[in-house]
Amino acid sequence: MADTLTVHRAGLSVVQDLGRLGRSRYGLPVNGALDQYSARVANVLTGNDEGAPLLEITALGFACTPSADVLIAVTGAPADLTVDDVPRPRWEPVVVRAGETIRVTRIKHGLRVYLALHGSVESPFLLGSCAPDTILGFGRTLRDGDQLAIRTPFPPVGHPFSDIPLFRLNASVPRFAESWTIDVTDGPDLAEFGDSAERLFRSEFTVTPQSNHIGLRMRGDVPRRTATGEVLSRGVPVGAVEVPAGDELLVLHRGRGVTAGYPVLAVVTSTGLSALGQTRPGQSVRFRRRTVAEAVAAYRSQRADIDSLRTRVRTVFDALRVLPQLPSTPHLVSE
Amino acid sequence: MDHGIHIADCGDSAVVVKATGGGDRAWQMVHALADAIEAIRLDGVHGIVPTYDSLLVEFDCSATDHDTIHRALRGAAGRLAANPAPAPAPRRFTVPVVYGGEYGPDLPVVAEQLGLAEQEVVDLHTARDLMVRCLGAPVGAPMMDGPAFPKPVPRLASPRTSVPPGSIAVAGRQAVICPMRSPGGWPLLGRTPLRVLDLDSEPLTPYRPGDTFRFVPITPEEWPDHDGAMLTAEAVARG
Repeated sequence: MADTLTVHRAGLSVVQDLGRLGRSRYGLPVNGALDQYSARVANVLTGNDEGAPLLEITALGFACTPSADVLIAVTGAPADLTVDDVPRPRWEPVVVRAGETIRVTRIKHGLRVYLALHGSVESPFLLGSCAPDTILGFGRTLRDGDQLAIRTPFPPVGHPFSDIPLFRLNASVPRFAESWTIDVTDGPDLAEFGDSAERLFRSEFTVTPQSNHIGLRMRGDVPRRTATGEVLSRGVPVGAVEVPAGDELLVLHRGRGVTAGYPVLAVVTSTGLSALGQTRPGQSVRFRRRTVAEAVAAYRSQRADIDSLRTRVRTVFDALRVLPQLPSTPHLVSE
Repeated sequence: MDHGIHIADCGDSAVVVKATGGGDRAWQMVHALADAIEAIRLDGVHGIVPTYDSLLVEFDCSATDHDTIHRALRGAAGRLAANPAPAPAPRRFTVPVVYGGEYGPDLPVVAEQLGLAEQEVVDLHTARDLMVRCLGAPVGAPMMDGPAFPKPVPRLASPRTSVPPGSIAVAGRQAVICPMRSPGGWPLLGRTPLRVLDLDSEPLTPYRPGDTFRFVPITPEEWPDHDGAMLTAEAVARG
Protein backbone atom coordinates (compact mmCIF):
# COMPACT_ATOMS: atom_id res chain seq x y z
CA MET A 1 0.00 0.00 0.00
CA ALA A 2 1.22 3.42 -0.85
CA ASP A 3 2.40 5.64 1.99
CA THR A 4 0.59 8.90 2.50
CA LEU A 5 0.89 12.30 4.03
CA THR A 6 -2.39 13.23 5.70
CA VAL A 7 -2.95 16.99 5.62
CA HIS A 8 -4.74 18.21 8.76
CA ARG A 9 -4.40 21.88 8.10
CA ALA A 10 -3.61 22.97 4.57
CA GLY A 11 -3.56 26.76 4.95
CA LEU A 12 -2.32 28.04 1.61
CA SER A 13 -0.12 25.24 0.36
CA VAL A 14 0.61 23.64 -2.98
CA VAL A 15 2.84 20.96 -4.45
CA GLN A 16 5.57 22.94 -6.16
CA ASP A 17 8.84 22.53 -8.03
CA LEU A 18 11.36 24.80 -9.73
CA GLY A 19 9.11 25.54 -12.69
CA ARG A 20 8.19 24.71 -16.24
CA LEU A 21 11.18 25.52 -18.41
CA GLY A 22 11.46 25.57 -22.17
CA ARG A 23 7.93 26.61 -23.16
CA SER A 24 8.24 30.36 -23.12
CA ARG A 25 8.10 30.36 -26.91
CA TYR A 26 4.44 29.42 -26.50
CA GLY A 27 3.93 32.16 -23.98
CA LEU A 28 3.92 29.73 -21.05
CA PRO A 29 5.24 31.30 -17.85
CA VAL A 30 7.92 29.38 -15.98
CA ASN A 31 6.18 29.53 -12.56
CA GLY A 32 7.70 27.35 -9.82
CA ALA A 33 8.91 28.14 -6.31
CA LEU A 34 8.98 31.88 -5.70
CA ASP A 35 11.99 31.46 -3.40
CA GLN A 36 14.07 29.13 -5.55
CA TYR A 37 16.98 29.17 -3.14
CA SER A 38 14.97 27.89 -0.18
CA ALA A 39 13.23 25.28 -2.35
CA ARG A 40 16.53 23.97 -3.71
CA VAL A 41 18.07 23.79 -0.24
CA ALA A 42 15.06 21.94 1.22
CA ASN A 43 15.39 19.26 -1.44
CA VAL A 44 19.16 19.02 -1.13
CA LEU A 45 18.89 18.63 2.67
CA THR A 46 16.72 15.56 2.14
CA GLY A 47 18.98 14.05 -0.51
CA ASN A 48 16.54 14.82 -3.35
CA ASP A 49 17.08 16.34 -6.74
CA GLU A 50 16.82 20.11 -6.38
CA GLY A 51 13.84 20.05 -8.73
CA ALA A 52 11.85 17.34 -6.92
CA PRO A 53 8.23 18.15 -6.01
CA LEU A 54 7.94 19.66 -2.53
CA LEU A 55 5.39 21.64 -0.54
CA GLU A 56 5.25 25.42 -0.75
CA ILE A 57 3.40 26.78 2.30
CA THR A 58 2.39 30.43 2.03
CA ALA A 59 1.68 32.68 5.03
CA LEU A 60 -0.66 30.39 6.97
CA GLY A 61 0.02 27.49 9.33
CA PHE A 62 0.25 23.92 8.09
CA ALA A 63 0.00 20.49 9.72
CA CYS A 64 0.35 16.94 8.36
CA THR A 65 1.12 13.38 9.44
CA PRO A 66 3.08 10.81 7.41
CA SER A 67 2.04 7.14 7.44
CA ALA A 68 5.68 6.06 7.21
CA ASP A 69 8.97 7.19 8.71
CA VAL A 70 10.17 10.12 6.64
CA LEU A 71 13.12 12.44 6.43
CA ILE A 72 12.04 16.04 5.92
CA ALA A 73 13.63 19.48 5.72
CA VAL A 74 11.88 22.81 6.21
CA THR A 75 13.37 26.01 4.79
CA GLY A 76 12.18 29.45 3.72
CA ALA A 77 10.67 32.10 5.96
CA PRO A 78 11.17 31.94 9.75
CA ALA A 79 8.45 29.81 11.37
CA ASP A 80 7.93 27.41 14.25
CA LEU A 81 8.50 23.81 13.21
CA THR A 82 7.37 21.07 15.59
CA VAL A 83 7.08 17.29 15.34
CA ASP A 84 4.54 16.00 17.87
CA ASP A 85 4.83 19.38 19.59
CA VAL A 86 8.61 19.12 20.01
CA PRO A 87 10.46 22.02 18.37
CA ARG A 88 12.76 20.87 15.56
CA PRO A 89 15.37 22.79 13.61
CA ARG A 90 14.63 24.40 10.27
CA TRP A 91 17.27 24.30 7.50
CA GLU A 92 18.36 20.83 8.70
CA PRO A 93 17.17 17.29 7.90
CA VAL A 94 14.66 16.07 10.48
CA VAL A 95 13.48 12.51 11.09
CA VAL A 96 9.73 12.09 11.54
CA ARG A 97 8.28 8.75 12.62
CA ALA A 98 5.12 7.31 11.13
CA GLY A 99 2.09 8.83 12.85
CA GLU A 100 3.85 11.90 14.22
CA THR A 101 2.41 15.30 13.38
CA ILE A 102 4.51 17.92 11.59
CA ARG A 103 3.40 21.49 12.28
CA VAL A 104 4.57 24.70 10.66
CA THR A 105 3.15 27.74 12.44
CA ARG A 106 3.81 31.45 12.95
CA ILE A 107 5.38 32.16 9.59
CA LYS A 108 6.94 35.61 9.98
CA HIS A 109 9.15 38.19 8.27
CA GLY A 110 8.91 36.22 5.04
CA LEU A 111 5.95 34.67 3.28
CA ARG A 112 6.85 31.19 2.07
CA VAL A 113 8.04 28.01 3.75
CA TYR A 114 9.26 24.94 1.86
CA LEU A 115 8.82 21.39 3.15
CA ALA A 116 10.72 18.69 1.28
CA LEU A 117 10.44 15.00 2.00
CA HIS A 118 13.07 12.48 0.97
CA GLY A 119 11.55 10.56 -1.94
CA SER A 120 8.64 11.93 -3.90
CA VAL A 121 5.30 13.61 -3.35
CA GLU A 122 2.40 12.74 -5.63
CA SER A 123 1.42 15.45 -8.06
CA PRO A 124 -0.03 15.92 -11.52
CA PHE A 125 2.46 17.06 -14.15
CA LEU A 126 1.90 19.43 -17.04
CA LEU A 127 4.59 19.75 -19.69
CA GLY A 128 7.26 18.35 -17.42
CA SER A 129 6.49 20.21 -14.19
CA CYS A 130 4.10 20.05 -11.25
CA ALA A 131 4.36 23.83 -10.66
CA PRO A 132 0.89 25.37 -10.34
CA ASP A 133 -0.15 27.67 -13.18
CA THR A 134 -3.06 29.66 -11.79
CA ILE A 135 -3.88 31.16 -15.16
CA LEU A 136 -4.31 27.71 -16.68
CA GLY A 137 -5.98 26.45 -13.51
CA PHE A 138 -3.33 23.75 -13.16
CA GLY A 139 -1.66 22.43 -10.01
CA ARG A 140 -2.19 20.53 -6.78
CA THR A 141 -3.54 22.82 -4.10
CA LEU A 142 -3.74 21.06 -0.74
CA ARG A 143 -6.95 20.96 1.30
CA ASP A 144 -7.70 19.93 4.86
CA GLY A 145 -8.07 16.16 5.01
CA ASP A 146 -6.12 15.46 1.80
CA GLN A 147 -4.17 12.22 1.63
CA LEU A 148 -1.11 12.94 -0.44
CA ALA A 149 0.60 9.82 -1.75
CA ILE A 150 4.32 9.75 -1.01
CA ARG A 151 7.08 7.37 -1.98
CA THR A 152 9.94 7.32 0.43
CA PRO A 153 12.91 4.99 0.43
CA PHE A 154 13.79 6.16 3.94
CA PRO A 155 14.18 3.01 6.04
CA PRO A 156 12.80 2.67 9.58
CA VAL A 157 15.19 4.28 12.01
CA GLY A 158 15.79 3.40 15.62
CA HIS A 159 19.18 4.81 16.30
CA PRO A 160 19.88 7.63 18.76
CA PHE A 161 20.28 10.20 16.02
CA SER A 162 16.60 10.13 15.24
CA ASP A 163 15.49 11.98 18.38
CA ILE A 164 18.09 14.70 18.52
CA PRO A 165 18.85 17.35 15.95
CA LEU A 166 20.23 15.01 13.38
CA PHE A 167 23.02 16.87 11.67
CA ARG A 168 24.71 20.23 11.55
CA LEU A 169 24.95 20.71 7.85
CA ASN A 170 25.22 24.48 7.98
CA ALA A 171 23.01 25.37 5.09
CA SER A 172 23.39 29.07 4.47
CA VAL A 173 20.22 30.78 5.77
CA PRO A 174 19.19 34.04 4.07
CA ARG A 175 18.36 37.13 6.06
CA PHE A 176 14.67 37.70 6.75
CA ALA A 177 13.42 41.02 8.11
CA GLU A 178 10.67 43.60 7.79
CA SER A 179 12.58 45.58 5.19
CA TRP A 180 14.35 44.19 2.19
CA THR A 181 17.17 45.19 -0.12
CA ILE A 182 16.60 43.76 -3.58
CA ASP A 183 19.39 43.77 -6.16
CA VAL A 184 18.60 44.87 -9.71
CA THR A 185 20.55 45.48 -12.89
CA ASP A 186 19.75 48.19 -15.43
CA GLY A 187 16.91 47.26 -17.78
CA PRO A 188 17.15 47.55 -21.57
CA ASP A 189 14.75 50.53 -21.60
CA LEU A 190 16.32 52.49 -18.75
CA ALA A 191 16.99 55.48 -21.00
CA GLU A 192 13.24 55.94 -21.59
CA PHE A 193 12.92 57.10 -17.98
CA GLY A 194 15.49 59.87 -18.17
CA ASP A 195 16.67 61.28 -14.84
CA SER A 196 13.59 59.93 -13.05
CA ALA A 197 15.11 56.43 -13.23
CA GLU A 198 17.21 57.42 -10.19
CA ARG A 199 14.05 57.44 -8.07
CA LEU A 200 14.17 53.64 -8.08
CA PHE A 201 17.24 53.80 -5.84
CA ARG A 202 16.48 56.92 -3.80
CA SER A 203 13.55 55.87 -1.69
CA GLU A 204 11.70 52.91 -0.27
CA PHE A 205 8.79 51.18 -1.91
CA THR A 206 5.97 49.41 -0.08
CA VAL A 207 4.70 46.02 -1.24
CA THR A 208 0.93 46.23 -1.74
CA PRO A 209 -1.62 43.45 -1.13
CA GLN A 210 -2.18 43.26 -4.91
CA SER A 211 1.03 41.23 -5.14
CA ASN A 212 1.32 37.58 -6.04
CA HIS A 213 3.42 35.06 -7.96
CA ILE A 214 2.70 36.88 -11.22
CA GLY A 215 3.98 40.22 -10.08
CA LEU A 216 4.49 42.43 -7.06
CA ARG A 217 2.96 45.86 -7.01
CA MET A 218 4.78 48.48 -4.98
CA ARG A 219 3.91 52.02 -4.00
CA GLY A 220 6.42 54.81 -3.76
CA ASP A 221 8.01 57.63 -5.70
CA VAL A 222 7.87 55.83 -9.05
CA PRO A 223 10.09 56.77 -11.99
CA ARG A 224 8.25 58.28 -14.95
CA ARG A 225 8.73 57.28 -18.54
CA THR A 226 9.67 60.30 -20.62
CA ALA A 227 9.30 58.58 -23.98
CA THR A 228 5.75 58.17 -25.28
CA GLY A 229 3.97 55.77 -27.60
CA GLU A 230 2.96 52.13 -27.32
CA VAL A 231 5.66 49.49 -27.12
CA LEU A 232 5.35 46.40 -29.33
CA SER A 233 4.84 43.29 -27.24
CA ARG A 234 8.10 41.51 -26.64
CA GLY A 235 9.55 38.93 -24.33
CA VAL A 236 10.27 40.22 -20.84
CA PRO A 237 12.30 38.31 -18.28
CA VAL A 238 11.20 37.26 -14.82
CA GLY A 239 12.29 40.13 -12.58
CA ALA A 240 11.43 42.91 -15.04
CA VAL A 241 10.63 46.16 -13.21
CA GLU A 242 7.95 48.05 -15.11
CA VAL A 243 6.00 51.23 -14.56
CA PRO A 244 2.52 50.69 -16.01
CA ALA A 245 0.05 53.57 -16.07
CA GLY A 246 -0.70 54.49 -12.46
CA ASP A 247 1.32 55.16 -9.35
CA GLU A 248 2.85 51.75 -8.82
CA LEU A 249 5.88 49.75 -9.78
CA LEU A 250 5.15 46.32 -11.17
CA VAL A 251 7.89 43.77 -10.60
CA LEU A 252 7.26 40.61 -12.58
CA HIS A 253 7.82 37.28 -10.88
CA ARG A 254 7.79 33.67 -12.05
CA GLY A 255 4.10 33.53 -12.99
CA ARG A 256 4.48 36.50 -15.30
CA GLY A 257 3.17 36.56 -18.85
CA VAL A 258 6.11 35.98 -21.17
CA THR A 259 5.43 39.02 -23.31
CA ALA A 260 4.49 42.53 -22.27
CA GLY A 261 4.24 45.96 -23.74
CA TYR A 262 5.71 48.11 -20.98
CA PRO A 263 9.29 49.36 -21.03
CA VAL A 264 11.69 47.52 -18.71
CA LEU A 265 13.37 49.93 -16.31
CA ALA A 266 15.41 47.38 -14.35
CA VAL A 267 15.66 43.62 -13.88
CA VAL A 268 15.77 41.96 -10.45
CA THR A 269 18.79 39.66 -10.15
CA SER A 270 18.45 35.89 -9.76
CA THR A 271 19.38 36.04 -6.07
CA GLY A 272 17.12 39.06 -5.64
CA LEU A 273 14.16 37.11 -7.04
CA SER A 274 14.35 34.53 -4.24
CA ALA A 275 14.33 37.35 -1.67
CA LEU A 276 11.52 39.13 -3.49
CA GLY A 277 9.51 35.90 -3.38
CA GLN A 278 9.54 36.24 0.41
CA THR A 279 8.39 39.86 0.73
CA ARG A 280 5.05 40.39 2.45
CA PRO A 281 2.44 43.05 1.70
CA GLY A 282 3.20 46.11 3.82
CA GLN A 283 6.94 45.47 3.97
CA SER A 284 9.37 47.96 2.50
CA VAL A 285 11.80 47.33 -0.30
CA ARG A 286 14.89 49.22 -1.33
CA PHE A 287 16.43 48.51 -4.71
CA ARG A 288 20.20 48.28 -5.03
CA ARG A 289 21.88 48.78 -8.38
CA ARG A 290 24.26 46.02 -9.46
CA THR A 291 26.18 45.30 -12.64
CA VAL A 292 25.34 42.17 -14.60
CA ALA A 293 28.77 40.77 -13.70
CA GLU A 294 28.13 41.32 -9.98
CA ALA A 295 24.69 39.73 -10.25
CA VAL A 296 26.04 36.69 -12.09
CA ALA A 297 28.82 36.28 -9.52
CA ALA A 298 26.32 36.45 -6.64
CA TYR A 299 24.09 33.84 -8.23
CA ARG A 300 26.99 31.51 -9.01
CA SER A 301 28.20 31.82 -5.45
CA GLN A 302 24.72 30.93 -4.18
CA ARG A 303 24.54 27.90 -6.47
CA ALA A 304 28.05 26.87 -5.40
CA ASP A 305 26.88 27.03 -1.76
CA ILE A 306 24.08 24.64 -2.67
CA ASP A 307 26.53 22.32 -4.45
CA SER A 308 28.83 22.15 -1.44
CA LEU A 309 25.84 21.59 0.84
CA ARG A 310 24.86 18.66 -1.38
CA THR A 311 28.35 17.21 -0.95
CA ARG A 312 28.11 17.54 2.85
CA VAL A 313 24.68 15.94 2.87
CA ARG A 314 25.94 12.99 0.84
CA THR A 315 28.94 12.54 3.10
CA VAL A 316 26.82 12.52 6.24
CA PHE A 317 24.10 10.32 4.79
CA ASP A 318 26.76 7.98 3.46
CA ALA A 319 28.39 7.71 6.88
CA LEU A 320 25.04 7.02 8.54
CA ARG A 321 23.94 4.67 5.75
CA VAL A 322 20.69 6.59 5.86
CA LEU A 323 19.85 6.40 2.22
CA PRO A 324 21.01 3.09 0.76
CA GLN A 325 18.68 3.46 -2.25
CA LEU A 326 19.94 6.85 -3.35
CA PRO A 327 20.62 6.11 -6.99
CA SER A 328 23.00 8.95 -7.78
CA THR A 329 25.60 7.92 -5.17
CA PRO A 330 26.68 4.39 -6.06
CA HIS A 331 29.38 4.31 -3.37
CA LEU A 332 26.62 4.09 -0.78
CA VAL A 333 26.02 0.44 -1.57
CA SER A 334 29.68 -0.58 -1.52
CA GLU A 335 31.71 -1.90 1.39
CA MET B 1 29.54 42.89 -38.59
CA ASP B 2 26.22 43.08 -36.76
CA HIS B 3 24.24 41.05 -39.38
CA GLY B 4 21.17 43.17 -38.69
CA ILE B 5 20.92 42.49 -34.97
CA HIS B 6 21.67 44.37 -31.77
CA ILE B 7 22.15 42.36 -28.56
CA ALA B 8 21.62 43.85 -25.08
CA ASP B 9 21.81 42.22 -21.67
CA CYS B 10 18.46 41.95 -19.93
CA GLY B 11 19.36 41.11 -16.36
CA ASP B 12 21.75 38.39 -15.19
CA SER B 13 19.95 35.57 -16.98
CA ALA B 14 18.67 36.91 -20.30
CA VAL B 15 19.68 38.85 -23.35
CA VAL B 16 17.38 40.63 -25.73
CA VAL B 17 18.11 40.75 -29.44
CA LYS B 18 16.66 43.55 -31.50
CA ALA B 19 16.61 43.09 -35.26
CA THR B 20 17.46 46.35 -36.95
CA GLY B 21 16.08 45.63 -40.44
CA GLY B 22 12.57 46.90 -39.59
CA GLY B 23 9.15 45.43 -40.41
CA ASP B 24 8.97 42.01 -42.02
CA ARG B 25 12.73 41.68 -42.32
CA ALA B 26 13.19 42.15 -38.57
CA TRP B 27 10.35 39.74 -37.82
CA GLN B 28 11.76 37.07 -40.16
CA MET B 29 15.20 37.52 -38.63
CA VAL B 30 14.12 37.08 -34.99
CA HIS B 31 12.04 33.99 -35.79
CA ALA B 32 14.74 32.39 -37.95
CA LEU B 33 17.25 33.22 -35.21
CA ALA B 34 14.97 31.62 -32.60
CA ASP B 35 14.75 28.43 -34.70
CA ALA B 36 18.52 28.41 -35.16
CA ILE B 37 19.26 28.87 -31.44
CA GLU B 38 16.71 26.22 -30.54
CA ALA B 39 18.29 23.82 -33.04
CA ILE B 40 21.82 24.12 -31.61
CA ARG B 41 20.54 23.40 -28.07
CA LEU B 42 22.94 25.60 -26.18
CA ASP B 43 23.70 24.40 -22.66
CA GLY B 44 21.86 26.43 -20.03
CA VAL B 45 19.37 28.08 -22.40
CA HIS B 46 15.80 27.43 -21.27
CA GLY B 47 13.67 30.07 -22.92
CA ILE B 48 13.48 31.58 -26.39
CA VAL B 49 10.83 34.21 -27.05
CA PRO B 50 10.73 35.72 -30.56
CA THR B 51 8.08 38.41 -31.03
CA TYR B 52 8.02 41.23 -33.61
CA ASP B 53 11.45 42.74 -33.86
CA SER B 54 12.89 41.26 -30.69
CA LEU B 55 14.05 37.92 -29.34
CA LEU B 56 14.47 37.20 -25.63
CA VAL B 57 16.90 34.41 -24.78
CA GLU B 58 16.69 33.20 -21.16
CA PHE B 59 19.36 31.05 -19.58
CA ASP B 60 20.82 29.79 -16.31
CA CYS B 61 23.78 32.07 -15.73
CA SER B 62 25.44 29.46 -13.51
CA ALA B 63 25.48 27.05 -16.47
CA THR B 64 26.50 29.43 -19.26
CA ASP B 65 27.41 33.09 -19.62
CA HIS B 66 26.41 36.18 -21.54
CA ASP B 67 29.46 36.00 -23.84
CA THR B 68 28.62 32.47 -24.98
CA ILE B 69 25.04 33.51 -25.75
CA HIS B 70 26.17 36.66 -27.58
CA ARG B 71 28.63 34.62 -29.70
CA ALA B 72 26.01 31.99 -30.56
CA LEU B 73 23.52 34.67 -31.59
CA ARG B 74 26.04 36.54 -33.72
CA GLY B 75 27.15 33.28 -35.34
CA ALA B 76 23.59 32.22 -36.15
CA ALA B 77 22.74 35.70 -37.48
CA GLY B 78 25.83 35.56 -39.70
CA ARG B 79 24.85 32.18 -41.13
CA LEU B 80 21.28 33.41 -41.73
CA ALA B 81 22.53 36.53 -43.48
CA ALA B 82 24.67 34.39 -45.78
CA ASN B 83 22.05 31.70 -46.32
CA PRO B 84 18.48 32.69 -45.35
CA ALA B 85 16.28 29.83 -44.11
CA PRO B 86 13.08 29.31 -46.11
CA ALA B 87 9.96 30.14 -44.07
CA PRO B 88 7.39 27.34 -43.56
CA ALA B 89 4.29 27.55 -45.83
CA PRO B 90 1.63 29.69 -44.12
CA ARG B 91 -1.79 28.25 -43.26
CA ARG B 92 -5.14 30.04 -42.91
CA PHE B 93 -7.64 29.84 -40.06
CA THR B 94 -11.22 31.17 -40.14
CA VAL B 95 -12.59 32.35 -36.80
CA PRO B 96 -16.31 33.10 -36.22
CA VAL B 97 -16.82 36.01 -33.79
CA VAL B 98 -19.80 37.54 -32.00
CA TYR B 99 -18.94 41.24 -31.77
CA GLY B 100 -20.04 43.74 -29.13
CA GLY B 101 -22.48 43.41 -26.24
CA GLU B 102 -21.44 41.03 -23.46
CA TYR B 103 -19.11 39.30 -25.95
CA GLY B 104 -17.08 42.41 -26.73
CA PRO B 105 -17.78 44.94 -23.96
CA ASP B 106 -15.12 47.42 -25.13
CA LEU B 107 -16.38 47.75 -28.71
CA PRO B 108 -18.15 51.09 -28.00
CA VAL B 109 -15.08 52.55 -26.26
CA VAL B 110 -12.72 51.45 -29.03
CA ALA B 111 -15.06 52.87 -31.67
CA GLU B 112 -15.14 56.20 -29.85
CA GLN B 113 -11.36 56.27 -29.43
CA LEU B 114 -10.91 55.57 -33.16
CA GLY B 115 -13.61 58.07 -34.20
CA LEU B 116 -15.52 55.27 -35.96
CA ALA B 117 -18.95 53.68 -35.74
CA GLU B 118 -19.00 50.28 -34.03
CA GLN B 119 -19.89 48.59 -37.32
CA GLU B 120 -16.89 50.26 -38.98
CA VAL B 121 -14.61 48.78 -36.31
CA VAL B 122 -16.08 45.33 -36.98
CA ASP B 123 -15.78 45.82 -40.74
CA LEU B 124 -12.10 46.71 -40.43
CA HIS B 125 -11.44 43.82 -38.05
CA THR B 126 -12.95 41.34 -40.53
CA ALA B 127 -11.71 43.01 -43.72
CA ARG B 128 -8.47 41.12 -44.25
CA ASP B 129 -6.35 38.17 -43.14
CA LEU B 130 -4.31 39.01 -40.05
CA MET B 131 -0.88 37.41 -39.75
CA VAL B 132 0.28 35.69 -36.56
CA ARG B 133 3.56 37.27 -35.56
CA CYS B 134 4.27 35.39 -32.36
CA LEU B 135 2.69 33.42 -29.51
CA GLY B 136 1.99 35.09 -26.21
CA ALA B 137 0.76 34.78 -22.64
CA PRO B 138 -0.76 33.01 -20.86
CA VAL B 139 -0.11 30.20 -23.30
CA GLY B 140 -0.20 30.07 -27.07
CA ALA B 141 -2.11 33.32 -27.65
CA PRO B 142 -1.77 34.16 -31.36
CA MET B 143 -0.45 37.71 -31.49
CA MET B 144 -1.44 39.21 -34.84
CA ASP B 145 -0.86 42.35 -36.82
CA GLY B 146 -3.86 44.51 -36.05
CA PRO B 147 -6.57 45.57 -38.51
CA ALA B 148 -6.16 48.75 -40.58
CA PHE B 149 -7.49 51.04 -37.84
CA PRO B 150 -6.76 54.76 -38.31
CA LYS B 151 -4.68 54.87 -35.12
CA PRO B 152 -3.37 52.66 -32.32
CA VAL B 153 -5.85 51.40 -29.69
CA PRO B 154 -4.89 52.29 -26.09
CA ARG B 155 -4.65 49.51 -23.52
CA LEU B 156 -7.17 49.56 -20.68
CA ALA B 157 -6.10 51.84 -17.82
CA SER B 158 -7.13 49.11 -15.40
CA PRO B 159 -6.68 45.52 -16.65
CA ARG B 160 -9.47 42.99 -16.12
CA THR B 161 -8.75 40.24 -13.61
CA SER B 162 -10.53 37.65 -15.73
CA VAL B 163 -11.06 37.58 -19.49
CA PRO B 164 -13.11 34.65 -20.85
CA PRO B 165 -11.48 32.19 -23.27
CA GLY B 166 -12.01 32.99 -26.94
CA SER B 167 -12.07 36.72 -26.33
CA ILE B 168 -11.00 38.78 -29.34
CA ALA B 169 -8.91 41.76 -28.30
CA VAL B 170 -6.90 44.57 -29.82
CA ALA B 171 -4.29 46.98 -28.50
CA GLY B 172 -1.80 49.27 -30.13
CA ARG B 173 -1.49 47.93 -33.67
CA GLN B 174 -1.95 44.33 -32.56
CA ALA B 175 -4.79 41.81 -32.37
CA VAL B 176 -5.11 38.62 -30.36
CA ILE B 177 -7.36 35.73 -29.40
CA CYS B 178 -7.26 34.89 -25.68
CA PRO B 179 -7.02 31.08 -25.63
CA MET B 180 -7.59 30.53 -21.91
CA ARG B 181 -9.39 32.41 -19.15
CA SER B 182 -6.82 34.87 -17.80
CA PRO B 183 -6.28 38.45 -16.70
CA GLY B 184 -5.92 40.96 -19.53
CA GLY B 185 -5.41 44.64 -20.26
CA TRP B 186 -6.49 44.70 -23.90
CA PRO B 187 -9.88 46.07 -25.00
CA LEU B 188 -12.30 43.27 -26.00
CA LEU B 189 -14.17 43.53 -29.32
CA GLY B 190 -15.87 40.14 -29.36
CA ARG B 191 -15.60 36.46 -28.62
CA THR B 192 -15.30 33.23 -30.62
CA PRO B 193 -17.04 30.01 -29.62
CA LEU B 194 -14.09 27.98 -30.95
CA ARG B 195 -11.41 26.41 -28.79
CA VAL B 196 -8.07 27.54 -30.15
CA LEU B 197 -5.74 25.50 -27.94
CA ASP B 198 -5.40 21.95 -26.62
CA LEU B 199 -2.80 21.62 -23.87
CA ASP B 200 -2.41 17.90 -24.55
CA SER B 201 -1.43 18.36 -28.18
CA GLU B 202 2.07 18.57 -29.59
CA PRO B 203 2.84 21.15 -30.85
CA LEU B 204 0.83 23.09 -28.30
CA THR B 205 -0.94 25.30 -30.83
CA PRO B 206 -2.51 24.41 -34.21
CA TYR B 207 -1.05 27.64 -35.63
CA ARG B 208 2.43 29.11 -35.73
CA PRO B 209 3.93 32.48 -36.53
CA GLY B 210 3.42 33.25 -40.22
CA ASP B 211 -0.06 31.67 -40.39
CA THR B 212 -3.09 33.93 -40.92
CA PHE B 213 -6.48 34.39 -39.25
CA ARG B 214 -9.65 35.71 -40.87
CA PHE B 215 -12.41 36.84 -38.51
CA VAL B 216 -16.03 36.37 -39.63
CA PRO B 217 -18.94 38.01 -37.78
CA ILE B 218 -21.69 35.72 -36.49
CA THR B 219 -24.83 36.44 -34.45
CA PRO B 220 -25.27 35.27 -30.83
CA GLU B 221 -27.86 32.82 -32.19
CA GLU B 222 -25.16 31.15 -34.28
CA TRP B 223 -22.85 30.65 -31.26
CA PRO B 224 -24.12 27.09 -30.47
CA ASP B 225 -23.28 25.96 -34.03
CA HIS B 226 -19.57 26.41 -33.22
CA ASP B 227 -19.49 26.07 -29.44
CA GLY B 228 -16.45 24.15 -28.23
CA ALA B 229 -15.27 23.11 -31.72
CA MET B 230 -11.49 23.03 -32.17
CA LEU B 231 -9.87 25.57 -34.45
CA THR B 232 -8.44 23.88 -37.53
CA ALA B 233 -6.56 25.15 -40.56
CA GLU B 234 -8.32 25.42 -43.90
CA ALA B 235 -7.11 23.09 -46.59
CA VAL B 236 -5.08 25.29 -48.90
CA ALA B 237 -4.88 24.42 -52.56
CA ARG B 238 -1.35 24.86 -53.84
CA GLY B 239 -0.35 25.46 -57.40
